[in-house]
Amino acid sequence: MEIAPGAVQDETRQHVEEEALAALVSQYASTLYRVAFSVLRNPSDAEDAVQETFLRVLRHRNGLGEIRDHRVWLIRIVWNIVLDRKRRAKTRPETDDVDELARVLPAHGLTAEQRAAAAQHHAHVLRCVDELPVKEREVLVLSAFEELTSVEIASVLGITESSVRSRLFRARNLMAELLEHSRSLR
Amino acid sequence: MNQQPYNNAAFRTGAGEAEETLRLIAGLAAPEGLEDRVQASLTRAPRTARVMPWPLDRHWMHGTLARGAAAAAIVCFVAGGGWEVYSRVQPTQAPKVIAMPRVATPGGFASANAMRTPKTVNGPTLTHPIGAKIPVHTLGKKPAGKKAAGSPAAGGNSEATKPVAQ
Repeated sequence: MEIAPGAVQDETRQHVEEEALAALVSQYASTLYRVAFSVLRNPSDAEDAVQETFLRVLRHRNGLGEIRDHRVWLIRIVWNIVLDRKRRAKTRPETDDVDELARVLPAHGLTAEQRAAAAQHHAHVLRCVDELPVKEREVLVLSAFEELTSVEIASVLGITESSVRSRLFRARNLMAELLEHSRSLR
Repeated sequence: MNQQPYNNAAFRTGAGEAEETLRLIAGLAAPEGLEDRVQASLTRAPRTARVMPWPLDRHWMHGTLARGAAAAAIVCFVAGGGWEVYSRVQPTQAPKVIAMPRVATPGGFASANAMRTPKTVNGPTLTHPIGAKIPVHTLGKKPAGKKAAGSPAAGGNSEATKPVAQ
């Protein structure tokens, strides 16, 4: 039985693409999960978003060789997915955020009460973050990732680096005002 | 000179708190086995769409030709069916005169409760001169003019019963 050379080439190409995809998964799945979780704040939703990201990559795997920076490219994909999901999702009650944070945040040597208080504090800060305008909020959330430079944040958001800096400055100012205002109300 | 907001303690505290919280969340570890689950979902995912092999390709006809003929037959069948349905359904004739609906608008033009009096019947008559007060007890009774005209013995006021020229 004769095997056509085209079929062998196809199989080899497919094998190479699958290996490249597997390498991307093992290298960047964790980063993508953290990006997704920082927006969605729900472990299962974040994992779904990561899976959807790689399924999109699978669909366009022929063009993987043309991508210069896979990390920023993948973060951009997962960022768009999570923003879309967040837009469509119904507003969850605030207690969900507090409970979720109390569960996932690290508690090194904290008592149960301290842990609950810390979770409440972080939930309050996150509520203030949610009150920021979208553009400023996006930059502030992405700036929390130490592995992302301002150039890479600009690339993910599709804006210039100077816009990233000015938005980050505005975001910090607004956050200070929001937290100050909430403290004065207490 | 005004002090810049990022120089004061409130700014440092507020922005610092927010960034600390966001950094804490950004630094959370991914769940165990995430890569394996993603790999598994990628393995299960369907690959690109493929054209199904044509079963009669080898025997009697060239594959492309057969596919084209089959596609043409499907198109003819669908179009023929659609035409048959279209030709059976006769559109109803549109009325030539369009009757405008009568809309009773409150506050619009109305008859103001006017009653049409046929010409064959005598018009209304005045039983009292204009400006004279009508006694209350006579209201609701028959006009005296008719009685006077019918029986002279009644002796009514002839001026009052005289029909008014119209």
